[in-house]
Amino acid sequence: MEKLLKKAINIKDHLNEQYIEVARDDFRDACRYLWNEKDAILRLMFAVDERSISGSFKVHAVFSIPGMDRFFIIVLSLQEPVRPAHGPELVEGDDLSFPSLTVDIPAAHWYEREIRDMFGLNPQDHPDPRRLVFHESFPARSYPLRKDWAITDSDAKEWGEGMAEKEPYRFMQVEGEGIYEIPVGPVHAGIIEPGHFRFSAVGETIFFLEPRLFYTHKGTEKLFESFGFEDGVNLAERVSGTSSFSHSAAYCMAVERMMGVHLTEKAEAARTLLLEMERLYNHIGDIGNLCAGTGLTVGYARGAVIKEKLMQLNQRVTGSRYLRGVNLIGGISKEIFPHSDHIRSTLDIVTKEYKGLMKLLLGTVSHIERLENTGVLSREIARKLGATGVSARASGIPDDIRHAHPHLFYDRLDFEANTMAAGDVLARMMVRTADLECSISIIRTILDGRYQGENAAGTRAIPPFAASLGYTEGPRGSIFYWVMADHAGGVFRVKLRSPSFCNWPVVPFAVHGNIVPDFPLCNKSFNLSYSGCDM
Amino acid sequence: MIKGILKNIIRRKQAIRFPEEFQVPPDQELEIVDLKKKIHAIFRRSLRIRQVDAGSCNACEWECTALTNPVYDIQRFGMDFVASPRHADLLLVTGPVSRQMELALKKTYLATPDPKLVIACGDCARDGGIYKGSYAVANGVARVIPVDGCIPGCPPTPTAILKGLLDLLRYTRKPLDT
Repeated sequence: MEKLLKKAINIKDHLNEQYIEVARDDFRDACRYLWNEKDAILRLMFAVDERSISGSFKVHAVFSIPGMDRFFIIVLSLQEPVRPAHGPELVEGDDLSFPSLTVDIPAAHWYEREIRDMFGLNPQDHPDPRRLVFHESFPARSYPLRKDWAITDSDAKEWGEGMAEKEPYRFMQVEGEGIYEIPVGPVHAGIIEPGHFRFSAVGETIFFLEPRLFYTHKGTEKLFESFGFEDGVNLAERVSGTSSFSHSAAYCMAVERMMGVHLTEKAEAARTLLLEMERLYNHIGDIGNLCAGTGLTVGYARGAVIKEKLMQLNQRVTGSRYLRGVNLIGGISKEIFPHSDHIRSTLDIVTKEYKGLMKLLLGTVSHIERLENTGVLSREIARKLGATGVSARASGIPDDIRHAHPHLFYDRLDFEANTMAAGDVLARMMVRTADLECSISIIRTILDGRYQGENAAGTRAIPPFAASLGYTEGPRGSIFYWVMADHAGGVFRVKLRSPSFCNWPVVPFAVHGNIVPDFPLCNKSFNLSYSGCDM
Repeated sequence: MIKGILKNIIRRKQAIRFPEEFQVPPDQELEIVDLKKKIHAIFRRSLRIRQVDAGSCNACEWECTALTNPVYDIQRFGMDFVASPRHADLLLVTGPVSRQMELALKKTYLATPDPKLVIACGDCARDGGIYKGSYAVANGVARVIPVDGCIPGCPPTPTAILKGLLDLLRYTRKPLDT
């Protein structure tokens, strides 16, 4: 570690974040050191257009080392090549590139392609030169997250037509006897989000799957910059529907840490409670949904009914079925604890019904047999590609932000990071059940306590150019926000990373060797958000 | 199984209740009966819905899925969600229409046989909602395909969607199958 710090040009500490700025030549070594020697997890990677502040782009790679509540953020400055004031646009070969980490740290591969699409910074030696976020018809040399970018009318028109192919996208092709391709989507048969899947199958067996996502890309990060910090909460709630509360909690946490606001005990307890309520309805819904994948209609219907009860509870407690409109910068906007009795009584009913459902599911051989050994995600792949949440824990990686970086009430609660070794669909279901029981006991523990303080602690002025991380464990895995203020305390940059962005790349590895009819089952067992991933 | 049924009969086990705040008042119940007639008249007893996600955050989708659960049970009105636009009478579109979904939405619309209805479901679908003005969205379904009605809400509750569908049918007077 000292060797790393010695190489640093600039070190800045902020709470549990350590920003280590390194020279271009050391960037790869520094990251490789954390990844290989310290077993660090790549939490997120992003760029910022700081040309108006420091005259350079900055690439950040955020690592955290297991067992240490600390984030190591390796920062690399990229100077724009000097060119005449009204000179031509950047052309290929201009040195606006950074050393790619992908070859050593496969988890970085999507982040780097995203940075290339959004900022036009080229990850040198990245094995995949294709676009990630934007499809063929998006105008070339258009980089939305640069500060001086706005979509022109002609670009908007070209994009909308969807005809002009400027950067053709080549699906990876498998060649050989008997291989055929099955294209699926973006409009699917069920009531789900849009995405395209290209299967290369041999008979019934999936040999290779390439998902093509980002159909629901809505320019969320750019939109954050035009909102104030307070209004940003509403947008954070709408990044991924069923993780509304986790997203807004992570966003609020980032802004609060930047302001230096500390939540009252009561607000912390309420936020923790609602985070667990969100996990609860998601996990029950997911367990029920798996039954839709195996054709066990009774299980599906029973799961849906329990989920509906929890959604109605959400509505009664907060006025929103998706727990929206509760989080504020500095606290929460509604009294939660007067509803304690109601939450308790619903939990009693839900616990009983859920036990009955599990008895049914575990006792149905035809159901369990489909789940066992299906969609196996190996520990190695999960680690290399940086899987998070249930997907990682079911493959034996005990990564849970609630443990690794305790926040809110989690350091005062007694619970485990539940893991399984098998990595198949059944393991993911069992991790969900264990998590769910944890959530129920956490909710009960929190309801038993008495808490001091106001609901909202109020806000403070934001120091110029302040920046901070916010994070939480959502139902699908770790959620990260990184926010930065401009000179006047307005929004300069918001980077968000939903767990689905980390977990989508592992899906093709999990379905390899399975039969095509089991794909929906594998997909449901991960239950990834398209909107959260596409942003 | 027979034992279970008997047990339920003896215990008079109740069906899952409709959410309290949505209990349908008696006069509205009449409307639902009326609606059934309408569906009979216009769509010959069945309204088939194709849900299309055009960039929504997924909350609207889950509310549509909830419509098919035993609590809301949309099938009892003669409506159901279908797997292909080719089977659909109505497109229920959610989301602000992200630019990368625009083409797919247009194609879905063209693939739906006439006569057809289009409903924009949710605030985003109406005018872009919170995403209005972003470079990557088309600010509402109506900018891309013709829309017959909107269901507001972020997301609209299953009851709101149900009621919206019912209202739409009530005001659709033109006989569609000419």
